[in-house]
Amino acid sequence: MNPAGGELLLFQVGTRVFGAAVDGAVRIGNVRDVPAEALVVETALGPPFARDRGIVVSPRQGEERTLVVDQVLGFRSVGADEVQPLPAFARACLSSTALTGFVMMDDAPLLLVDLPTLVRERS
Amino acid sequence: MPDPFDLESKPPKRAPAARRAPAVKGDAGKIVAALRALGAGVPEPLDPRTFADAGLRAIAEALNAAAERSGTELREAVARMERVTAGVDEAIEAMIRLVIQGDLSGTLRLGVSDAALTPLIAGIGQVMETLKKFVTEIREAALQLSSSSAEVLAAATQNESSTSAQASAIHETTATMEELKGASHQIAENAQMVAAIAEQTLTGARTGEGAIKAFMGSMEKVRHNAVEVDDAIAKLSKRVERIGTVVEVIDEIADRSDLLALNAALEGAKAGEAGRGFSIVAAEMRRLAENVMESTKEIKNLITEIREATHAAKEASDGNKREASEGEKLGGNAMTSVTGILSGIQETSDAARVIHLATQQQRTATEQVVQSMSEIEEVTRQAQAGSKQATGAASELTRLAERLAELVKRFKVE
Repeated sequence: MNPAGGELLLFQVGTRVFGAAVDGAVRIGNVRDVPAEALVVETALGPPFARDRGIVVSPRQGEERTLVVDQVLGFRSVGADEVQPLPAFARACLSSTALTGFVMMDDAPLLLVDLPTLVRERS
Repeated sequence: MPDPFDLESKPPKRAPAARRAPAVKGDAGKIVAALRALGAGVPEPLDPRTFADAGLRAIAEALNAAAERSGTELREAVARMERVTAGVDEAIEAMIRLVIQGDLSGTLRLGVSDAALTPLIAGIGQVMETLKKFVTEIREAALQLSSSSAEVLAAATQNESSTSAQASAIHETTATMEELKGASHQIAENAQMVAAIAEQTLTGARTGEGAIKAFMGSMEKVRHNAVEVDDAIAKLSKRVERIGTVVEVIDEIADRSDLLALNAALEGAKAGEAGRGFSIVAAEMRRLAENVMESTKEIKNLITEIREATHAAKEASDGNKREASEGEKLGGNAMTSVTGILSGIQETSDAARVIHLATQQQRTATEQVVQSMSEIEEVTRQAQAGSKQATGAASELTRLAERLAELVKRFKVE
């Protein structure tokens, strides 16, 4: 995650929308084209519903896993000053370290996710 | 010589004085006077001793003898006449008495007997016998007449009673026939009405038959149309399936286009400021892909709706076919029923026509019967009057017969 902001990839899992740095995504693909063992379905973001899209992530060097999401919504540029760190209490309560902060978007907090960390936690 | 006992004959007239013989005087004159007195029926005896002449004396004596003899015979004749007259009177009195008393049983017996009465008695006996015979016959006839008149009266009374009963029965029959005439008239009108209604019903049933045929034709057409609709729906389903397949392809292409656009945008985003234009193009492509997918989604929804509508149409079509088949079946049943009804109505119509004709004939016949019954009633009325007259006459006859019997009873013949 670039703490100074930049381009965010917006995607939806379940009913919630998340943002991730575009550098954490290798490409975007179809879930049906990916073998099941390469899919990462349930993560700290919750279970997806439609499972339409897959964000290919490289958690480690030379390895690719596909994070199953419901929808890839698009891209958004955010400034560094827009990125807020998670409160310490919230960070302490979360079991995942993939959630790195949030930005306010349309008067709602958009959680920022570190995709390689998220996939690694499920590997 | 006239019969001196002939009382009916008039006495001979004396010769007029001018033609008289010249007067004889003396004894001869006495003799002449005596003869004239004898001739007049008043004999005057002569005294022969006073006659001087012997011859005249002998004549006087002979004249006296003749006068005496004539007087004797005359007295005898008078006596006999008196007896006969008494016998006749007795016989007449006896006859009158017998006739008055009516006793013809006995025989006539007179207190006097004379040969001259014998024919009278015999005649009276014959008359009485004849009367007895007549009375006997009249009595028998009166009895028979009484019996017959009683029978006639009874028969006349019975006849009058029968005639009255007959008249009453005929009157009732006439009244009944009048009612029957009215009823026949009513029946004839009703039969005509039934015939008219049957004819109307027949027309209606034929119309119904035509309607059922048209209905069956419509049902067949509906079934045919339903089959055509079924085929059309099947074709439409195939087309829709084909469209669905095409839409799936388009959707797949759009999805891949979207993926490509996403990845292009991702690469553009990764490239930072250098990839800005690339990202814009990618975003535009993605919008197009999303529009396509949105459209395909709408098309899919439409296809789903079409499928549902097609399914509903198929079910409706199947229902139409079933209903049409059921309608045809019901129409066939209705046609069979209507055919039977038509046959029945035709028979009813024919029967009603026949009944109408028959009732018309019946009405005419009834009117004739009523007319005849009226005539019969009139004749019976006359017969009743005649019967009453006959009963009256028989009653009078009976009364007369009884009167005759009573009268005849007065005569005793045994």
